Amino acid sequence: MASVSPSSTDSTADTGGDLVLAGVRKLYGPAVVLDVDHLVMRRGEVVGLVGENGAGKSTMMGVVAGAVAPDAGTVSIAGELLGSGGTLHAQELGVAMVSQEFPLVGQLSVAENLLLGRRPSERRFLIDGRAMDAVARELLGAVGLQIDTRRRVDSLSVAQRQLIEIAKALGRDPLVLILDEPTSALGPAESDRVLDFARRHARGGGIVIFVGHRLNEVRAVADRVVVLRNGVLVSDLTPAEATEQRIVRDMVGKDLLPEGDIAASGDGEALAFEARALEAEGLGPLDLALRPGEVVGVAGLMGSGRSRLLHVVMGARASTRGEMRLAGARYRPRSPADGSAAGVGLVPEDRKTQSLLVDAPIRWNVTLAILRRISWKHLILASRTERREAAAIVRRVRVRCQTAEQPARSLSGGNQQRMIFGRWMAARPRLLLLDEPTRGVDVGAKAEIYKLIEEARKEGMAILVASSELEELAGICHRIVVLRRGRIAAEFERSEFSKERIIAAAAIDGAAT
Amino acid sequence: MAEDGSVAELGGADGKRPGRRAAVRFAQRLADTPELGIIGAVGVAFAIFASINPLFASGSELQNLGVDLAEFGILAIGESFAIITGGIDLGIGSLTALMVVMSAWLNHTAQLPVLLAFLVAVLMGAAVGLWHGLWITRLGIAPFIITLVTFIGAAGADEAIAQTPVQISSPTFLAVAGSTVAGVPVPVVIFAVIALLAWFFLERTYLGRQVYAVGGNREAARLAGIPTNRRIILAYVVSGSCAAVVGIIFASQLTSGTADSTTGYELIAIASAVIGGVSLAGGQGRIVGVVAGAALLVVLEQGLVAVNVNAYYQSMVVAFVLLVAVVADRLRVRRLERTGVRVRTPRPPDEAAESANPPGVVSGTP
Repeated sequence: MASVSPSSTDSTADTGGDLVLAGVRKLYGPAVVLDVDHLVMRRGEVVGLVGENGAGKSTMMGVVAGAVAPDAGTVSIAGELLGSGGTLHAQELGVAMVSQEFPLVGQLSVAENLLLGRRPSERRFLIDGRAMDAVARELLGAVGLQIDTRRRVDSLSVAQRQLIEIAKALGRDPLVLILDEPTSALGPAESDRVLDFARRHARGGGIVIFVGHRLNEVRAVADRVVVLRNGVLVSDLTPAEATEQRIVRDMVGKDLLPEGDIAASGDGEALAFEARALEAEGLGPLDLALRPGEVVGVAGLMGSGRSRLLHVVMGARASTRGEMRLAGARYRPRSPADGSAAGVGLVPEDRKTQSLLVDAPIRWNVTLAILRRISWKHLILASRTERREAAAIVRRVRVRCQTAEQPARSLSGGNQQRMIFGRWMAARPRLLLLDEPTRGVDVGAKAEIYKLIEEARKEGMAILVASSELEELAGICHRIVVLRRGRIAAEFERSEFSKERIIAAAAIDGAAT
Repeated sequence: MAEDGSVAELGGADGKRPGRRAAVRFAQRLADTPELGIIGAVGVAFAIFASINPLFASGSELQNLGVDLAEFGILAIGESFAIITGGIDLGIGSLTALMVVMSAWLNHTAQLPVLLAFLVAVLMGAAVGLWHGLWITRLGIAPFIITLVTFIGAAGADEAIAQTPVQISSPTFLAVAGSTVAGVPVPVVIFAVIALLAWFFLERTYLGRQVYAVGGNREAARLAGIPTNRRIILAYVVSGSCAAVVGIIFASQLTSGTADSTTGYELIAIASAVIGGVSLAGGQGRIVGVVAGAALLVVLEQGLVAVNVNAYYQSMVVAFVLLVAVVADRLRVRRLERTGVRVRTPRPPDEAAESANPPGVVSGTP
């Protein structure tokens, strides 16, 4: 630990800092996801931690919270070394983490959730309701939330739950409080409350690690901004240095975009899809138009409405206002069945919960969206016809399998994803919606999926792709629209692609193009 | 581990070993039709009982067996529809009891012609199914709960209506359970027709496939453009209608609309379905298996009586068979998951990276 040379921060005796990461490295297979030489955080500081998706933020937080065991290096908290692999030990040392998910127990009351696993008084077996209530109310007061502590958590709004999650972490009286995108689900007023709370916690002698995507918030709250890129700490900025432009530049590094060109889309005069003043809960109003053979990317932060947009277009979520047209005809889907019938297809984000029939054979999976069409008299599903169709689809999207009769669960992630592509390509939709099309697949499989997208485009489908990976969008899209808080914040043609500008549009409130 | 090695080879060698491939295909055929085991068990059980008591295989005994099988079989088929969508129908036993009384009442007291009375009774059963389906899809009530309401309510209604049994006088009505076609009892014919229709619907129409898909993964089915709510409602309508049909057969057999409770039969129907390979998780199971499952239970029940086994032990035997069926099913699934026809892409490093990397980590190196 002593042999590691300090890099960006000054090192007045390692133990002087209250949270010290020294030589921390984490590998997944051959990929280095985190490599931090030396980082010190002191009591009284709010440290903003920023970086792109996959820059290593989550891994770093996991290491500090004891959930991820580093392959090398040490973490010490207030002079004590964090033992390998133990969230319990990290908790004992005073680390509390509030993450994007809400691991609250919906059926329990607010007070019960806040005190889960702790006893508010000396009573051993019985629950001391009054003491519990008092403690709960105090914690809620600290985050500025005024609600009845007896209410069930599942009756609360997402924003309220997020605040309760923070209050719960606070209940452990932490030295190091990790806030992982604490405001992504919150409106401006509640966000301000969280920022305020973070500052107060630091002033009271704690350390706050604030992970944020909205850069103006990070700047407003942080005493230092630490930027990660590809797992490496690239800069450690003072508030004066940390302009939004600077942060974005450090996050992005060399601007790679765009690489290569893709064939111009079919410049047909007719639009494949058009949305005007489209609105839904948490989305819009927005305008959007796609020509046949055009690939349009949807970029934006988590919670900006990317998936939501696709689901509204598919009919899986209700739109509340506005108008959609498919090939000029009025399109008002009330369910995905309407969407599918009108010529829209959706490859959803989460294979396991949204697309696969895992125990059913591949054949069932690939013919799912065309069952009616391939049935005789639109009713009778002839076994031979189905087998033939399934074999053709499997060949077309190159699913590597022995037979189409083996269960979908026996395939690798990339194969499963191609199978779902096959399901929709067989349906020959006018508009194909792709939600994180390469999530959880390896590099080789990604390339094959890009090839499939290109093939679908050549067949004249209009394609709307939502992705959190900008390289991906830059590689395959003619155009990228950037969503921020449910609205289109900016739109870039291929010639204008720039990671820096896209991130700025997505992350900086009030940025315009 | 040795197994693992050979499996990886299979994937890599493009299946160039004919022996292996045949073996794989055979294993798959077996895995596709776990029902074969049940059918075999029915045969074995029947042979054992007949060898102990030759009367068991006599014509009249077979007819009795057939009528019992028809009743439990039809209930089990209806129940299977509900289970395949990932739900359950606890109401069918009570509903059957109610329809025993109702069909007699419609014919005798309300003076409807027999066939019209039958039609109205079946429509009423269907309506109860519709009622279940609507609550389940519109309000998201758990199938267990809403059908439990029927379980209790229908049993009560049954008792209330049939405080004095309604005598059935119509010869046509009585002929349902009492007559035979070429030696085959009419209920068996009805059962065969229903089983064929159910099989055809589930395995030979696209609607049936969609019913399976809804049970396999409801959200995936919905996003794939399947009207999931309609398929679920349909399943409960089938279940309710089947209960009504069985009610009519029972009434005819009893010659009166008696409040003779068939409550509890839903559990036997569920057991038949599960023994026949219907997964309680939904999305799996075939009519062949359900029929075989019902046949096994009926043969065991009647057979144990024929060889003079005490009624208490009968239930224990049934319980044992159910246990064996469930355990065998789990073992089969686990073996499939572990050794089955698993294809490994011949690129281990990528696979390792794929499972280990959180999404997005590899984005820097496209």
